[in-house]
Amino acid sequence: MKTKVLYSAVMAFSIFFFLSCENENNIDESGNLVPKTVDEDPSLPSIFVNGTHLHSETFGNPNDPMLVFLHGGPGSDYRNGLNVQQLADKGFYVVFYDQRGSGLSKRHDKKSYSIQLVLDDLTEVIAYYRTSPTQKIFLFGHSWGAMLGAAYVNSYPDKIDGLILAEPGGLNKKLLDEYGEMSRKINIFSEVTSNLLYVDQFITGKENQHAILDYKYGISSSFSYAKGNTEGIPGPSPFWRIGTTVLESFIDISENDGFDFTTNLAQYQTKVLFLYGELNKSYGLSFAQKEAAYFPVSEIEEVKGTGHEMIYFKWENVEPLVLSYLNNLK
Amino acid sequence: MKAIVALITFLISLLMSSFLQAQTINWENLKSEEKHILNVNAGWDYSFAYGLSYGYHLKTKMPIILESSFSLASGEVIFDDFKTKIGGQINVFQIENFRFNAAIHGIYRRYENPIVTLQNFGADASTTIGYYKPKWFVAGEFGFDKAIVTHFKHSEIYKEVYPEVKNGWYEPSTGGNFNFGIQGGYSFNKSDLTLRAGKVMTQDFKSTPLIPFYLQIGYSYKLD
Repeated sequence: MKTKVLYSAVMAFSIFFFLSCENENNIDESGNLVPKTVDEDPSLPSIFVNGTHLHSETFGNPNDPMLVFLHGGPGSDYRNGLNVQQLADKGFYVVFYDQRGSGLSKRHDKKSYSIQLVLDDLTEVIAYYRTSPTQKIFLFGHSWGAMLGAAYVNSYPDKIDGLILAEPGGLNKKLLDEYGEMSRKINIFSEVTSNLLYVDQFITGKENQHAILDYKYGISSSFSYAKGNTEGIPGPSPFWRIGTTVLESFIDISENDGFDFTTNLAQYQTKVLFLYGELNKSYGLSFAQKEAAYFPVSEIEEVKGTGHEMIYFKWENVEPLVLSYLNNLK
Repeated sequence: MKAIVALITFLISLLMSSFLQAQTINWENLKSEEKHILNVNAGWDYSFAYGLSYGYHLKTKMPIILESSFSLASGEVIFDDFKTKIGGQINVFQIENFRFNAAIHGIYRRYENPIVTLQNFGADASTTIGYYKPKWFVAGEFGFDKAIVTHFKHSEIYKEVYPEVKNGWYEPSTGGNFNFGIQGGYSFNKSDLTLRAGKVMTQDFKSTPLIPFYLQIGYSYKLD
């Protein structure tokens, strides 16, 4: 019994000694595990619109036709879409912004988000950068960003001069669920599943503890490019910081209220370009056709040799398709 | 260096003392001469996990079991995700066949994925209140698991995402989860077949882990 008491004392002393001698970092402080957002780091390029503070930058001549890139997520950022800036050399004014609560943009409370709010943000971003009333406006959306682009055209069909949708995950709740079923099959015994779930006992984070929640979601991102993933993602693509609260908020909105971005798409008479990756087994031509059918005029193109993250991994195959489409509408 | 020495001391003490995990025990079937309790288990503990544990039954007036456990998360890489516990449980009081028990454990656990390796020191505390007969038992349980301090070491993948990321120890507590559920079992000869199941909630009671449930099936064998 004395031995047990001795060992317990050694253990308790060791832990105390160990904790008191190391320099500890604060997990809830931006800058330690995740980068600071624009409201915390004034050196980042940003704009103030619609009551929020967005991480944003532009490339090209401001008087050229404007191309607004809409990143995926919700909650991700435009870092893995930066190849699109090369279109600035081809006669387009390329605008990037991290959506509200996403990437390096300012965080907000979970209950503050709505679809209409992010549509209003896009209206304000366009107005902020637009240099003349006749300047043409094109949207280029990837994944969730493509859903957002469709939602915008659904609400404001006369405001957008061209729309490029790269694998929107579902233009309504039914299609989103269908895509989710195809792309997120899990094996409960696999390493990938353990990597995704086991961390829940190490890091939790309370609602609106953004640094913790964003970090936790970020380290789970390896799930998306795990070996054998059905979306054809070969490895990690860069991001700055994932907005977990806005993601969870939109998941709640989708589950509780549903959504349908197709109700008014018949009013949009401009040709829409759909892109899908050859290696994304969850999307494919048939799913693209289902989504494109909501538009009066559309063109569907397969991007060879890539999957869902086509803009980062195979920009050389994406660019000719996008450029050809845009030049016809310029 | 001091941290390494302290960690080694902790691990040695972990290995050398009498230790095992929170075993699911039929207190009514535990005889005073039965000293050693061996247990194997499997089930859902944040992810699918397999576990081994050992218990030492002290000769005390109030029944006490010192225990330790080791469990591994399922997956192709065997020893990257695991959890060890050391502690004990005590049958605090008994009214006929009703018993009130309490348990407390220190925890060391590890997690690794392509982006980060985490090492955590934590603790859990739990209570069970149940009805125990020599052949069977059923009880309700409530517990709290706190991740007290965690060490973060990031891979090159994350350093490309965020080059300024700070490796090292993080505080305050990096996490905490409550669990509540039921446990029960069937006892025969020197063996117990046991089942635990319940729900997990994070410490703010507003959110849950991605899979907010736990389930464990176990087999225990008692030796004199």
